[in-house]
Amino acid sequence: MAENSIVLGMADLMVVAAPIKLITLGLGSCIGLVVYDSFAKVAGMAHIMLPDSRGLHASEKVGKFADTAVPAIIEEMLKKGAVRARIKAKIAGGAQMFSLPGASAEFLTVGAKNVSETKKRLASMGIAVIASDTGGNKGRTIEFSTSNWMLKVKTLGKGVCEI
Amino acid sequence: MSDVVSFNERQLDAIREVGNIGTGNAATALSGLLSRMIHMDVPKTELVSIYELGDHYGDPLQIVGAVFVRSTGGFQCSLIFIQPEEDAQLMVELLLKQQFGTFIPAGEVPQEMTDSALTEVGNIVLSSFLNAINMLLGTQHQISVPGVAHDMLSSILDVVASIYGQMGETALLVNTELKVEGLEEGHKISGHIILIPDPDSLELLLRKLKVV
Repeated sequence: MAENSIVLGMADLMVVAAPIKLITLGLGSCIGLVVYDSFAKVAGMAHIMLPDSRGLHASEKVGKFADTAVPAIIEEMLKKGAVRARIKAKIAGGAQMFSLPGASAEFLTVGAKNVSETKKRLASMGIAVIASDTGGNKGRTIEFSTSNWMLKVKTLGKGVCEI
Repeated sequence: MSDVVSFNERQLDAIREVGNIGTGNAATALSGLLSRMIHMDVPKTELVSIYELGDHYGDPLQIVGAVFVRSTGGFQCSLIFIQPEEDAQLMVELLLKQQFGTFIPAGEVPQEMTDSALTEVGNIVLSSFLNAINMLLGTQHQISVPGVAHDMLSSILDVVASIYGQMGETALLVNTELKVEGLEEGHKISGHIILIPDPDSLELLLRKLKVV
């Protein structure tokens, strides 16, 4: 069956029933988190911007922060019929687009913090990350297929890989 | 620090004027470097939703060359000089031709040299911009070593989203375009300067300009 596709924007979070392709374009330091239950045929994607909402301006978009996105996407998955023990996760993104030798610019390493916080939150909910393509200094475009549960990652100058 | 959406028209105008002064100086520097006339747009102060940044400067997937610097001191901010990749390549060719007297296609120049030339142009443009602002405000500043990237526009703009994303949902940007004039038919070199003041620096700026 042909897959329709949905493109997620910054801080979007969505859970769908197969067959639908989930896409996020041009991830830099942001993270594309994919969770799926291939038996129940539901999958979710979140475009996470920042690691931690604590102490910051509250946002209506739960997908914005790793610490709010992970519980929200798992809850949504369960509502749509997924079983927690079957949910698997894949992660891409979290690059550091610029490095400034010698400068203290903590916000430039936000990508790595997004990755570690997302993994930590998933682990605390008992969700296994079975594949990831993170870090580096290049942006990524990602497409998740709910027909073969593969995440296609396109990186400039490196081509396409499937994880 | 209040969310930037609370700024009024007069305050946004004052911030724009700062951008104007910076841009004038940056255009002069670029003109000196390339020995060409530079056309500069009147800068705009824009409040942009961080969720829409990716689309704000055109096709989010277009490949751009970007130079990023961080400025610390009295007026803390980040600055990006961003060009479509073809424009960046053309600018490097123009610079090399000027330096060595012969035309070398950008494709035959090693990437390190292209990057080094781009970084230098970005550095000169952005430093001039900052010098003018700090002169106006009477503040001291230091500028970081520039960082360079070639990538999708929206990936580059994640940097801006992650700075303003911690404060709220809106980014305040001072944004202007420089165009090199007198090029061969069909050639174009343009670049955007994006000033991203640290949210805390905005209050200082408004205080100094007496529009609190």
